[in-house]
Amino acid sequence: MTTSAFRLAILSGVLALWEIAARAGNPLLYVPPSAVLPSLVNLVALRSYPDLLEHVLLTAREIAVAYALAVAGGVGVGCALGGHRVLGRAYAPMLAALYAVPAVVWYPSLMLFFGLDAASKIAFGFLLGFFPITLAVLAGTRQVNPHLVTVARSFGASPLAVFAKVLLPGMLFTLVGGLRTGLALAVIGVIVGEVLGAKAGMGTLINHAYGLFRTADYVALVLVTLVLIVTSDVLASLVERRARRWTT
Amino acid sequence: MTVADAELIRIDGVAKRYRTASGVVDALGDVSLAVPEGQFCTIIGPSGCGKSTLLGMLAGLVGPDGGRVLIEGQPVTGPDPRRVATVFQDPGLFPWRTALENVEFGLELQGADRGRRRAVATELLGPLGLRGFAEKYPRELSGGMKQRVAIGRALAIDTKILLMDEPFGALDEQTRMLMGEWLLDIWRRTNKTVIFVTHSLHEALALSTRVVVMTARPGRIKSVLELPLGYPRAMESPELVTLRAKLWSEIRDESLRAMSES
Amino acid sequence: MSEARRIRLLQVASVLAVLAVWEASARAGWVDPLFVAPPSVVARAFGAIGGAALIALGDTLAKTAVAYTLAVGLGVPAGLMIGSVRAVHDVVHPFVVALYGIPKILVLPWIVLLLGFGTAPAVAYGAIHGLFPILVLVIGGVRDVDPALITVARSYGARPWQIYWKVILPASVPSVLASLRLGIVFCLLGVLIVEMFAGVRGMGHVLNALANGFQAAQLFAATALVSAASIGFVLALDALNEKLSHWRG
Repeated sequence: MTTSAFRLAILSGVLALWEIAARAGNPLLYVPPSAVLPSLVNLVALRSYPDLLEHVLLTAREIAVAYALAVAGGVGVGCALGGHRVLGRAYAPMLAALYAVPAVVWYPSLMLFFGLDAASKIAFGFLLGFFPITLAVLAGTRQVNPHLVTVARSFGASPLAVFAKVLLPGMLFTLVGGLRTGLALAVIGVIVGEVLGAKAGMGTLINHAYGLFRTADYVALVLVTLVLIVTSDVLASLVERRARRWTT
Repeated sequence: MTVADAELIRIDGVAKRYRTASGVVDALGDVSLAVPEGQFCTIIGPSGCGKSTLLGMLAGLVGPDGGRVLIEGQPVTGPDPRRVATVFQDPGLFPWRTALENVEFGLELQGADRGRRRAVATELLGPLGLRGFAEKYPRELSGGMKQRVAIGRALAIDTKILLMDEPFGALDEQTRMLMGEWLLDIWRRTNKTVIFVTHSLHEALALSTRVVVMTARPGRIKSVLELPLGYPRAMESPELVTLRAKLWSEIRDESLRAMSES
Repeated sequence: MSEARRIRLLQVASVLAVLAVWEASARAGWVDPLFVAPPSVVARAFGAIGGAALIALGDTLAKTAVAYTLAVGLGVPAGLMIGSVRAVHDVVHPFVVALYGIPKILVLPWIVLLLGFGTAPAVAYGAIHGLFPILVLVIGGVRDVDPALITVARSYGARPWQIYWKVILPASVPSVLASLRLGIVFCLLGVLIVEMFAGVRGMGHVLNALANGFQAAQLFAATALVSAASIGFVLALDALNEKLSHWRG
């Protein structure tokens, strides 16, 4: 009770401070919350950016494709490395080392190769999403109690049955966590790609508003993008909760 | 010396209830007990009978809701490492400290200088059977060794009272029996007062001078069994076999009750 | 042959195979050399970009160092505090999680608007990027300290500051080290993004310029250089971790 009161107080304090500071500051740099609301209304009513929906849909489509590829690639590679001891021991450390590189260094190369259109954003979103999913699958296959595999095989389970009835449920928890992180990162990858250079998409609009010093529109666009991001994460967390209930 | 002086520990009508998510739990209801100096007093009873709570009160980790706990005539208000040392079922060794450094822990808190700490701890490692393991980290020790380090940590601060909360509960039966023999040896040489919580009838009968049987929740004292026998005890002697049967019949009812309630 | 050697051999062979296929496909004209330069050309490109790239890398690393110092200096103490004071944790933690989850790229334009082009936005953005993962990891580490150890310390009469100093701090060392490792990658990431977005110097700017100029070989060489630097830092922190957490299994 008091905890939520404190949280509310902090939140309103920050908003109030922002409002006061922004009114005193340069309107090109600071936008008070009270000024964001009209911009947001203009944006959602398709007045400031009439083609907003196209951009939202493009970004959403890029995210969907990037994520689908990341899931397919991550689960495939993860299972391959987790299933073969030698492959795993050879390539898992190399993957981990690549994970230690800030992924954005690959983006200029992707842009060069795939151009400024959706493909480079999809590629970058895929790259960011791929690693956590692969590593989660790898960790998942390793955390399944090998004794359970022995038990299943003693009951005559085929390799496929071992996978479906022992490995998958056993690693589901870790897998779903990795899938959620992967989605968050695929989203970030696509948006970072759009901000760093694109012809369309939410990132491009944000860049456009910023370039023209339309700061209130910029904030409104950021809020709309956040809604997109939070929605995707809420969906993922619902799936995660489902899976969690199943496993425990 | 009067009788009251010989009483090292006095527990006077203590009670404890816990508020949990699923309601109020009466853990302990009106327990009174006096323990004279030098005893090996075992508390035995079904799961959840508040044995550990009682021990926690003596250790100053849990405050009673009613009644009072006196040690040497003074009420317990908090942990008192000058008079009481506690060994838990989970050895609770600090994983970043070596065996030796773990044994030193209590002395370190009391501000003993490094040389004395080292000397006391090193001297203890011998009888603990841990000579040569001083520089090992807990992860490199077996379960029995870990528990001996934890006991060493308690012995190092050289208190009159040693509280032990199922110290061997996580060990296999053979290790358990050997640890019991070893503990008995330590106790007889140091003349400490031991309060020992266990689930094991064997441990209770082999080690104690007195066994306190507790009821199912809310825990009360059901009966007290005095064991004025020598050591080592021949567990197959007619006397002990009879005592075992008697003890079991006392505990069996309570365990059954605890099982049907939980 | 031991398994360890077989694995090492497999690793080396795979890298060589990838390089060979890459080289062959570039030479055979299966991929446009304008976009994908063969390894042999990339190797020569190291010479071409040499000095300038090293200066740019130094510039980037200097900014990263400042950002990292800020993120660690702020994040580790704050994380220890938030993690160990229950009331503060309950109030603040949701905010930390929310701020950690929000993609920082969304505030990047505003930071550049505020701080202009150059060093300041890179340092600020790098620090913000590093701060939240550090906070989250350190808070988690402190919260995960085994309560049994705290009970033991209490039973030996430890005062609150002694519990903090002798139990909570040493028990948090592994998560603090993990946060240092993650933090440096995030700080470098933030600095590079700013340099790409609005940089006039630094490796991010160089990478972007090379990509826009279709200089694939130089771009790959420069990418390799930054990657090697980052992997180097992480390996160094891993070694430190190994040394300081030797008590862990």
